[in-house]
Amino acid sequence: MMQVMPEKRVNRHHMKSNSASPQEITPEYLAGLLGEVALSRSRRAFSELFKHFAPRLQSFATRQFGNEQTAMDLVQETMTNVWHKAHLFSPDKGSPTTWIFTIARNIRFDILRKNKKNQNDISADELWPVLSEEMSDSDDEFAIDQTILLQEITSYYSQLPDAQRVVIEHIYIEGKSQQEVSDELGIPLGTVKSRTRLALQKLRELITDHD
Amino acid sequence: MIKFHPNEELLVQYVQGNLDSALAVVVGTHIDMCQHCAQQKKDIEDHLSAKAFGAATDFNELSMQTMLDEIMNSSAPAIEVPHKVNKHVVVEGKQFRLPPSLARVSKRLGEWSKVPGSVWRAPLQIDNDSAINLIYMGAGASVPEHTHRSQEATLVLNGTFIDEHDRYHDGDFVFLNADHRHSPQTAEEDCLTLAWLDAPLQFTSGMARLLNPFSSLFFK
Ligand SMILES: [Zn+2]
Repeated sequence: MMQVMPEKRVNRHHMKSNSASPQEITPEYLAGLLGEVALSRSRRAFSELFKHFAPRLQSFATRQFGNEQTAMDLVQETMTNVWHKAHLFSPDKGSPTTWIFTIARNIRFDILRKNKKNQNDISADELWPVLSEEMSDSDDEFAIDQTILLQEITSYYSQLPDAQRVVIEHIYIEGKSQQEVSDELGIPLGTVKSRTRLALQKLRELITDHD
Repeated sequence: MIKFHPNEELLVQYVQGNLDSALAVVVGTHIDMCQHCAQQKKDIEDHLSAKAFGAATDFNELSMQTMLDEIMNSSAPAIEVPHKVNKHVVVEGKQFRLPPSLARVSKRLGEWSKVPGSVWRAPLQIDNDSAINLIYMGAGASVPEHTHRSQEATLVLNGTFIDEHDRYHDGDFVFLNADHRHSPQTAEEDCLTLAWLDAPLQFTSGMARLLNPFSSLFFK
């Protein structure tokens, strides 16, 4: 569905983590995979993310806990969040690797806290709201990019995938808020946000290509 | 302009999740107020994540596929109802805006109580064994001279306070080690701070020693 960096795509039929050397996998490529998971629940994109990150998470978690079972729990819980909450990733805020690291950091914190069995102890998302739906609410993040003129949007937005085009039409042409679009189309606010973000990214590419 | 910042070691521990939780709230609040440290925090996150994920374990193919299937067939986690957050705090009729890191834990804020010397405090219970305090000093207030058995961190949320060493304004983060004596006071301006202590205060001036029972009540 998305055309993200096709030249960087490498065939990886094998599940061995070392079959892909890290140089082939750029942050942009990983961000594209996250975008596909957020937009279309792409199992293929998620499998690729999983094969890249799970062995790294396991290595990290084993060093942290020194216990294989707890380490596997951390891998599974982290990647489960990536699967369900990919729409909360924002490339403007950092790389996919950093985002997933902060999710793992939070899960590790909560695992250690649970061992202390004090219900009132502060939780990781009170300290670092990595997976909070409200966190990406800063509207300026989605305010129209000064470098994209409305004129340009109208001439290129027809090239966007349908789902993104509809959102862009509502927001930038009809001037609706993301919440209004969410209500009107009956899709979650997070999805509206990720579609907007991906569409703007795509438009930026289209516009630069034509300059 | 913020003059005093947490050092790099504190920021690294904050990002790793290894800092004392109560101190992490103070550091996080400083980061909310300080663009310089916000950028440093990002750099540290990038650095640590590259380091953490530098090595990969050879994952057993079968268990990998099993986990992958389990994840993709798992149901989405229930949407949590966001708990009520107070974006402001009111003390002595004055209202102060709370930075996001403090607003997120605002339900943990206890009642304000007055302590001698135009000083008010409200505890913020972070976990079973640590709390931090919001300390409000009216204009012309002073906290008796004291030393610490170990460390104290103070973040100025609003206003100015003065001690023997310097003047501290909005956003300044002051970290004092053991054996460091000081007596904070305000001048014409009032001051709201967030204070973390990892051991009870010991007051050193004669008058305050008489008040010592109150010291444990003051900064618990
Ligand atoms: Zn700073």
